[in-house]
Amino acid sequence: MTVWAPTDDGHADLSSHDSFVSGPPLNTFARLRREDPLSWSDWSGGKGFWSVTRHADILELNRQHELLSSARGIRMEDQTYEEYLARRTFQETDPPEHMQTRVKVARAFSKNVVAEFEDQIRALCVEILDQTLAKGTFDATKDIARELPMRMLGRIIGTPDEDLPWLVEKGDALIANTDPDFTKHVLDRMTTDEFRMMPFNSPAGAELFVYAKDLMQRKADRGDTSGVLNMILAPGPDGTVMPENEFRNFFCLLVAAGNDTTRYSIAAGIQALCNQPELLAQIQSGAVDDTMADEIIRWATPALYFRRTATRDFDMHGRTVREGDKVLYWFISGNRDETAFDNPLWVDLGRTPNKHLSFGQGGPHLCLGMWLARLEVRVLFQELAKRIRSIEPAGEHRFLRSNFVGGIKSLPVTVTLK
Amino acid sequence: MQATWTLADGQDVTHDVAEGLNLMEAATAHGVAGIIGECGGSMSCATCHVVVDPDWFARTGAIGDFEDQMLDVVEADRQPTSRLSCQIRMTAALDGIRLVVPEA
Repeated sequence: MTVWAPTDDGHADLSSHDSFVSGPPLNTFARLRREDPLSWSDWSGGKGFWSVTRHADILELNRQHELLSSARGIRMEDQTYEEYLARRTFQETDPPEHMQTRVKVARAFSKNVVAEFEDQIRALCVEILDQTLAKGTFDATKDIARELPMRMLGRIIGTPDEDLPWLVEKGDALIANTDPDFTKHVLDRMTTDEFRMMPFNSPAGAELFVYAKDLMQRKADRGDTSGVLNMILAPGPDGTVMPENEFRNFFCLLVAAGNDTTRYSIAAGIQALCNQPELLAQIQSGAVDDTMADEIIRWATPALYFRRTATRDFDMHGRTVREGDKVLYWFISGNRDETAFDNPLWVDLGRTPNKHLSFGQGGPHLCLGMWLARLEVRVLFQELAKRIRSIEPAGEHRFLRSNFVGGIKSLPVTVTLK
Repeated sequence: MQATWTLADGQDVTHDVAEGLNLMEAATAHGVAGIIGECGGSMSCATCHVVVDPDWFARTGAIGDFEDQMLDVVEADRQPTSRLSCQIRMTAALDGIRLVVPEA
């Protein structure tokens, strides 16, 4: 049996994107969970940070939003208050403010509303797979994993199909802003701070701002008030309307977060099929229809961490976290925690229960798009399994250069069709 | 103190619930089928929906604005006595409360 084996020496620098280019440094996370579950890292790019690596600790802290706030930034980088205000979305707010925005879009992303997309998703999967699988050998990230969430995004925010490749390219430049394959402005190698008021500190944010404004204007011109974007602009029960900069940031969040997470979940799942050939027959049997999406998403953990900031001093595991300290919840580590999962380095599509943390479980910022992600993943793998007899690697896969987004950016595979 | 959940298959399960715990936490700790509670009780997921027995409903307290809006997006249809169980905290007055886990 092939179990994917990490290669780091157990002491990887978590602050460095380069520590993640061969996949997440799982030996390091295993050591930290065992020996140093609340560990401090210095960082050359700013203030150091605490890492929480155990499954149970992440769950315990994640619900304590009064102690560990999202409202001072959610990534490792330090922000001034001015930058925070310019770049924030509801991801960077705490309850109850967070709920004011969340309830506006909760319906659009609810399980029942999302379920209505199933036929549409299946049709898109069939189209994408029929086009791609015939090639025999192809890059599964580029030709399958990237395509489905991108096209669904277009349906959800109401953009014409021809705009989608441009939008996704900009979304990638935002969120994969530390990988030179995706942006010319590699965040930790930049010598300018001229984009620091832009989402993700990226010039792509400015272009997306213009696009969002045009899109809403075009919709208004034809009297179209449907869709998620109009929901978010509608006044709340107290009459307040989201300020323009926050709306534009929300738009960037949808384009970026709504895309790459599902993409890298699909890619990780396809890589698992290559690694563990028995998975294909399990999917084909229909026995894992209800459980496989969550296991694939656990395996992928596209959001490797989110950061919080301590609002007061507290002690944990013999350490003292000070007010203002950054605390990172490493979901990738929680999802490989031996005390929460049997054989965590093994993909078990029937895993039940599956208390993975990929969606930020246990806290108010639970992924808004989780029902859509689960549905897209399930349907894609059902349709893929229907069509192939085998799948194997056709070269080495490559991970994104990022300690924030975990993803296989290139995944050459060869399939034999049924 | 105890609470009883009637599961989607009609079976009743009764569990001890410590004072101060909310009924979603109690349900997930005991593995009550159909109560998921993925957001840890912050009203973001709407997966801890219960229909409170009408005899007990008034004692569960008022429904907040956010809870009210999230109850509109639960998976099973909202009923007049629907609540998010993460918003009901166990007290002596609720000892013996009966809840139905609606069929999704």
